[in-house]
Amino acid sequence: MPKLSDNSAGDERLLMGNEAIARGALEAGLQVAAGYPGTPSSEIVDSLSKAAGDVPLYVEWSANEKVSMEVAAAASFAGLRSLCAMKQNGINVASDFLLHLAGSGIRGGMVIVSCDDPGALSSVNEGESRHFARLVEIPLLEPGEFQEAKDMTRWAFELSEQLGTPVMLRSVTRMSHASGIVRFDSLPGKPRRAVFRCEGFMLDTDEGPMVSAPVGYRHEMQQERIRRARELFEASPFNTYEGPERPELLAVTCSAAALYCREAVSMLGAAGRVGILKIGTTWPLPVGLVKMRLAAAEKVIFVEEILPFLEENVKVIAAESAREIGVKTFYGKNEGTLPMNGELNPDRVAAAMAGILGIPFGDPAADYRRQAEAAAEAMAPQRGQTFCPGCPHRASFWLLQEALHLDNRKGFVCGDIGCYSLALLPCGFNSLKTLHAMGSGMGIASGFGKLGAFGMDQPVVTVCGDSTFYHAVLPALINAIHHRADVLMAILDNSGTAMTGFQPHPGSAVNALGEPAPHVDIETLCRSLGVSVEVRDPFDLAETRRAVNRLLEQGGVRVLVLRQSCALSPAKRAKRAFRVHVDDAACLGESCGCGRFCTRVFRCPGLLWDKAAGKARIDEVICAGCGICSFICPQGAIVKEVP
Amino acid sequence: MKLSEKNAVVYGLNTVVIRKKPLEEPARGAGQRELNEEVLDAGLCTGCGACVGLCPYQAIHGDATVALHRCDIRTGRCWAFCPRTKVDPAALRSIAALGADWTAELGPVRGLYLCRARDGANRGAAQHGGTVTALVRLALQEGMIAAAVLTGPGERLLPRPLTVTDPGKVPETGKSRFVASPVLAEFNRAAREGAGPIGLVATPCQALSVAKRKLSGRNLGDAAVDRLGLMVGLFCGWALSWRGLSGLLSGKLNLEAVSAMDVPPSKYRRLEVTAQGAPLHIPIDEVLPIVRRSCLSCDDMTAEYADLSVGSARLPEGWDEARHWNQMIVRTPRGEALVELARRREVLEFREVPEGNLERLKSASLRKKQAAREAEAKRS
Repeated sequence: MPKLSDNSAGDERLLMGNEAIARGALEAGLQVAAGYPGTPSSEIVDSLSKAAGDVPLYVEWSANEKVSMEVAAAASFAGLRSLCAMKQNGINVASDFLLHLAGSGIRGGMVIVSCDDPGALSSVNEGESRHFARLVEIPLLEPGEFQEAKDMTRWAFELSEQLGTPVMLRSVTRMSHASGIVRFDSLPGKPRRAVFRCEGFMLDTDEGPMVSAPVGYRHEMQQERIRRARELFEASPFNTYEGPERPELLAVTCSAAALYCREAVSMLGAAGRVGILKIGTTWPLPVGLVKMRLAAAEKVIFVEEILPFLEENVKVIAAESAREIGVKTFYGKNEGTLPMNGELNPDRVAAAMAGILGIPFGDPAADYRRQAEAAAEAMAPQRGQTFCPGCPHRASFWLLQEALHLDNRKGFVCGDIGCYSLALLPCGFNSLKTLHAMGSGMGIASGFGKLGAFGMDQPVVTVCGDSTFYHAVLPALINAIHHRADVLMAILDNSGTAMTGFQPHPGSAVNALGEPAPHVDIETLCRSLGVSVEVRDPFDLAETRRAVNRLLEQGGVRVLVLRQSCALSPAKRAKRAFRVHVDDAACLGESCGCGRFCTRVFRCPGLLWDKAAGKARIDEVICAGCGICSFICPQGAIVKEVP
Repeated sequence: MKLSEKNAVVYGLNTVVIRKKPLEEPARGAGQRELNEEVLDAGLCTGCGACVGLCPYQAIHGDATVALHRCDIRTGRCWAFCPRTKVDPAALRSIAALGADWTAELGPVRGLYLCRARDGANRGAAQHGGTVTALVRLALQEGMIAAAVLTGPGERLLPRPLTVTDPGKVPETGKSRFVASPVLAEFNRAAREGAGPIGLVATPCQALSVAKRKLSGRNLGDAAVDRLGLMVGLFCGWALSWRGLSGLLSGKLNLEAVSAMDVPPSKYRRLEVTAQGAPLHIPIDEVLPIVRRSCLSCDDMTAEYADLSVGSARLPEGWDEARHWNQMIVRTPRGEALVELARRREVLEFREVPEGNLERLKSASLRKKQAAREAEAKRS
């Protein structure tokens, strides 16, 4: 099977955008890669970890994004080329370090990959990481197709090293997760030797200490680097123009939106009327190039996802050079031609362009959409987003919300980030009442846990996953302990970073390279902080619920580890602990005493309601055989048997 | 537009669908939703346990009934059996078929007695005269009932309902605990397991629930009440909230060591709690704030729907003598038969009811009925 690490220049492969980025980094001579898993970024470090056996490369899944950036920076300080990858809000986590790193500069080429999630397909935010590049004054690159994703990544290392600054490469879900043909270049030869030269003079960027102080001097240097980047970007092959020399409408675009523009122009048959200026170097903008293209058009539309980053930066150039290029009519997000949230697609872009150009344009996919809706209505199960069959989180939230209802003091759960964020929804019995950043569940709970002094008598519970625990919960836990907050923390330990594909974390016994690694034990760690820790199996519903009720009566910080591995974990996958069936004679169905409890309230997708028979059924195709529903059924009509 | 369940659906962390037509408010029924609104949310739940154990939606924790999950059945046993939902009193009386003995103040009265267990040991383990302990024990011994649902001690002053089949175990349950015990949840469990005939020692609200069950149970597919062989009622002024009581006492004595509690006649204005040594006297003004809200709206002091009802006695000699006796209202032929048996077997001893005791009991009961009307008027 061909591998990403094959040294086969000229080969053409079908690669996912994230793999193309990884390949570009390998071709640039990457030696250290780090990251924290997060959709849509995870495949970058995942594919590098697979390549690590074949090329001289160290890869790690760090405890969090900030640490991953620091690990990559250390390699750069030692002269190696390094990369860190994360999703958009990972940049928020790392941003404090990033601000200072931009000030100190780097040595070996260092690329920070941020994969944004327009439309929040796998996020609880629609954050824009591009502003960080401008905020901390570092160059920003945005690939517009798959070959470019590879080539631009490779070049980003050159650029970084040439300027002495970290470079941010920003992708989006449709760039990271879609696939295209990528032509390989060769891999480099000998790896560099790591040496951190730090004995030199304070201000010596090659031999001195790596610091962001003295601030005035360093900040000026940093801004000089950005000025040089701007000059280099004027001639960058990643900024392209296609269309007539004097287009009726100029589309200024970047990233995946460039693909939508091309498709929209083709759908409208408007190639002779619309020019597409695709910018790959979105910060700092190549002023000369932008001015030249603006000068040739009267109407300008900005096509980009989420916030008007490109739009506003281009408008500054237009305002500053209005005397030379004339006054333009702008279309984009600020005046509402395109939305400031959600994903774009070719239809949306075509509709926007058609409106400006006066081309009649209906919904080309209306018929298809109708057919799809009809098919979905007839054939797809009627349910919202839910936990997988056999998911231990369903059992955990079942018993947590039961315990809180029984406790009867209007207690609530502060949520955190992971699969279990879904507990906001009916599949998790709407248990979560706050949901923000990683680690925020415990932080918020720590705050709630001090409000007893002002009359709050509601018990406070927080949940976090095992990976999240190491990521950012620990400081909040320490805070709660030190300040004697009244909080019950349930750690939903499903033995891996399950949501993003079972990447190892500091609690795992292996690392990203597949080597045995010392695992940092959650219980031992919590006990060492002086809190009581109980470990329970969420599949032992009744006992664990009683334990939760007992813990709810106590004050201070209490830790409850709910341990049961993910139904999709390599250890469990395709193995059923039980064969489950419904005893029709015992099933009460819709009558008083049940009211379709299993399918209406418990809602595991492995349970079906047979309307005609008025009985519950097990969907044997998807049932994972955990057997939890057999405890839920008030009649004992759901029977589990060891196969 | 403010979005609610009526006009929007959330399908996932990122999918909101606005309904083309807002959902209409479902018509009112007589199920869990109405039970929640009329009883639980209104603070009127008595903690009797009648709605618990019939389905997975209602549960008891501590001394409180909670709605664990949302049921969407329009007509439910939970609402029908709850002692605090509306019911036609005339219909209730008609199923009791006791119209002839009915009194406005005390319900059916076939006789008022002053009595106590003849066996002194029985009395010591029980409250006051030990009449209930003696009668339940007798009913088990004589096979009138095969099991008795009673209340024993639990942790931190929380009473624990239990089913007793061994007559020798009855005295272990013979104390007043002043916190609601969900004996009807235990009755539901025992009936489901096929026990019977079952004897029940019930507070007035619990007795009322059983009467409602006789009235409507069969229409709702519930025949458990047919397993009931005897219901001994308890006089009751109020119960205390469990969290309130454990909070009130926890600084004052070791909760696990509490062996007896009593409220002497109202002129003493105190709750007596015995742990080790002499009883601790808690002023009644500290106790009244932790009375269950639902008890204030209760208009039955003497368990009018039981076969017979037992409470504390009043004697001309004063409380020191009266505290060793009980006052008993016999209401039904079944109650009468048991008392007759007790007399024949010399399980109970009797003394003459002092003149005026019936009138005093009636006026005390009327005061409670009046207070309940006022509390309900204030609430609505």
